[in-house]
Formats: sequence, structure tokens, C-alpha cells
Amino acid sequence: MTVPILKQGDVLIASIQAALSDRDLAALRDELADRVGRLRIRGVVVDVTALDVLDSFASRTIRGIAYITKLRGADTVVVGIQPEVAFAMVQLGLTLDGVTTALDLEEGLEALRSLRSRTDHLGAR
Amino acid sequence: MAYGTNATAQRGLMKEMGLSDQDIERRQKIVGLEPADVARIGQIRDLVTGNVDDLVKAFFGFLSVLEEARPLLSNRTLTEEVQRLKREHLIAMVQGQYGSAYFEQRVALGSIYGKVGIEPRAFLGAFQELLKAIGILIMKRFEGGPTDGFATFVSIQKVGFMDIGLIVDVLVFERERVIRQQQEAIRELSTPVLQIRDRLLLLPIIGVIDTHRARLVTDSLLQAIRNNRAKVVVMDVTGVSTIDSKVANHLLQTITAARLMGALVIVTGLSSDVAQSLVALGIELTKLNTVGDLQGGVEEAERILGYRVRQVAELAPPPLV
Repeated sequence: MTVPILKQGDVLIASIQAALSDRDLAALRDELADRVGRLRIRGVVVDVTALDVLDSFASRTIRGIAYITKLRGADTVVVGIQPEVAFAMVQLGLTLDGVTTALDLEEGLEALRSLRSRTDHLGAR
Repeated sequence: MAYGTNATAQRGLMKEMGLSDQDIERRQKIVGLEPADVARIGQIRDLVTGNVDDLVKAFFGFLSVLEEARPLLSNRTLTEEVQRLKREHLIAMVQGQYGSAYFEQRVALGSIYGKVGIEPRAFLGAFQELLKAIGILIMKRFEGGPTDGFATFVSIQKVGFMDIGLIVDVLVFERERVIRQQQEAIRELSTPVLQIRDRLLLLPIIGVIDTHRARLVTDSLLQAIRNNRAKVVVMDVTGVSTIDSKVANHLLQTITAARLMGALVIVTGLSSDVAQSLVALGIELTKLNTVGDLQGGVEEAERILGYRVRQVAELAPPPLV
């Protein structure tokens, strides 16, 4: 199953609706990496609200998305990790270090805004 | 009746304790009760039923001088009730039927002992007195053949020991019931998650935290973050006097999980003992946001959320008279 990627201004929103195979995840990563550069994207939101499990490959791939898009000039925020999923991930040592997280889509967009104001501030200096 | 002699209560208790038919068989096996024993007990049926009042007297006479048995015997209706049940017990002991009906009677008596809080040692003493009285009766009857007498006594003793095992289990179970209730109460009291501003939660932790409680704290915090859409959580551990490495790691995991959900946790009120033991335990603390006291933590959280708290006006000076 491919993940729909919506473009909203200079933000991409990838909403994962069902459990993904490893190949689908890799495809999502490649697609996002491509579009971020092509469409001059500044922020990416990956929504995992619908997932009730995030295994090591999935969390590694999501972390990869965050790092890759950063190198391509966009911040990534992961939103909607459920309480049980969060605790299970921590117990497995999958802590998504260096990745911004937020409660839901709304919070994620807000987080992107504040991240951007920080980078804009850096650029102005 | 107030002291739970009705049959449904007994069956409920037996079920709670896991006294199934298999368990009853198992208990008979443990004391080595065999058909030969039942046959031997049959020979002294008249002996015990004939002297049942004396035997009941031996049991309660022994208890009446003991301080440990006072709660049971200071209440008159209770005393009559347990004497009646004891009489039933002695008669049932020699009937050769040791199935669930027999166990139900024992549990009824045991739960009375348990509810008034009689000490197992007092009960054991009285039971020994009872067995001695039965033994004397038996040896009198078998004066010609002491070996047979002894074998018969051993048979009835097996039943007695099975009873003791059961009664002690009931006593322990009743005692543990109090512990279970208190644990439940502690659990309900122990993990409040309070919203003190929009998007700001306060999680006060008081008392001893063990792994079990830490797990509860985690669950309620993560749920509360989602339900209240919290962005910052102040976890106050002023009331925690000790912490071990397992619990500390668990709390750190909670904090990391909260971060995955997009919430920042600020820990406040680490006492010097707790702080020293955390450092001594070598726990990874770089990811921990700490502020000295609760007030400081709340102020920091408000700053992060963009609140600014101000007094409305300077307090007016006291009016001159």
C-alpha cells in the first residue's frame, strides 16, 4: 500500500493509514526525499496515528526520513505516536533521537512553524 | 448472618482460594488419607460422636485461658456459633466423607477465625489439645491392642492435619485480603495526573515507587498526555525518598515515551539523597530536564508554553486611619 503524500504550501503531509511493509516504508522514504528537493519543501509531517505498532525497521526508516529531509532542507516532525506504541518503542530502545515529535497533525504544523522561525533567525544573522 | 455462615459466601471464598475438587483430592493425598484410614475411622465413629461435648469443651477450654483467643471468645453469640460449628466438625470428621461439603464447613469456621483475627498459634494449640483428647479416648478403647489403637489415631490425625492445613490457609488468605485491599487503595490514590494550565500537566509522585507503581504512573501519564493534549508535564518527586536503578530507568523510559508523543517532561524536587543515588547508580541523565523545586518547574513550564503570570497590581498600602 502506498502512502498518500499531500502538499500544503511548502509542507508535505504523509499520513500512514495502515501497517506498512518494509518495502512500502522504503518507497515512502525515497518519495519524500525526492519531492522535498523537487517542490522546494520546508517541512514534512509524518502522521503515524493509525499505527498500533512501530518496529525497529519502521522507526529506523522514519528517523532516516527526518535526517535525509534535513539534508535536503526541510524539517520533519513525527506526529500521533500512541501511548502504548511510545512505551513499547522506548522499551525496545527505539527512541527516535534527534527527531522532533508532536501529539497530532495540528501540533506538528505548529512545531514546524517554530522550528522554521528558529532557522530563519539563524539565517538572518 | 454477619459472620458469613451462609453457603454462597463460603462457596465464593472457596472459589477465590482456588479450592476446586482437584485441590481437595490433592490435599487428601498430601496427608496420605487412604480408604484404609476411612475404614479405621469408621470404627471409632460412635466414640467421637458419643463424647462430642467433652471434645468441644477440651478445645474451647484450652482457648479460654489464652490471651490470643480473646477476640473470639469475648463475643457470646460468636462463641456459640463457633462451638456449634466445631461440634459439626467433630461429627463430620468421623463420617468418612471428606469432599467439598466437608471443606465448605471447614472454610466457614476458618473464615470466622480469620475475621475475628485469631492467632494461628492459638488455634494450633487448641487443635493439638483436641487431638490429644481424641487420642486418649482411642487408647482407652484399644487397651488390648495398642498397635491398632495407634493406627486408628494416626488415621484420624491425618484428617486433623488436613483440616489444619486448610484452616491456616484460610487464616492467611483473610490476612492477605487486608493487604490486597490496601494495595488497591494505594493504587487508586497514587497516580493522579492533574491539569494546571491548558496543555500543562502536573504529576506529583509521593511515597515509595516500585516497578509496579512506576508502570501505573507511565500508563496514566501517557494516557493523560493524549487526552489533555499536553505539551509540558511537571513531574514532582519531592515526596519520593528513595529510588532504585530499576525504577529510575523506568521513569526515564516514561519521560522518553512522553517525548515521542510530543510532550516535554520537567522533573522537580529531586531530594539530595535521590540525586546522589541516581548519580551513584550511573544512570544516563543527559536527557533529563530538572528544576529544583515545584514552583520553579511550573514557572519554567509556563515560560515554555508562553504564559506570563503577573500580579494584577501592587498591593495597596494599608489605609491610614
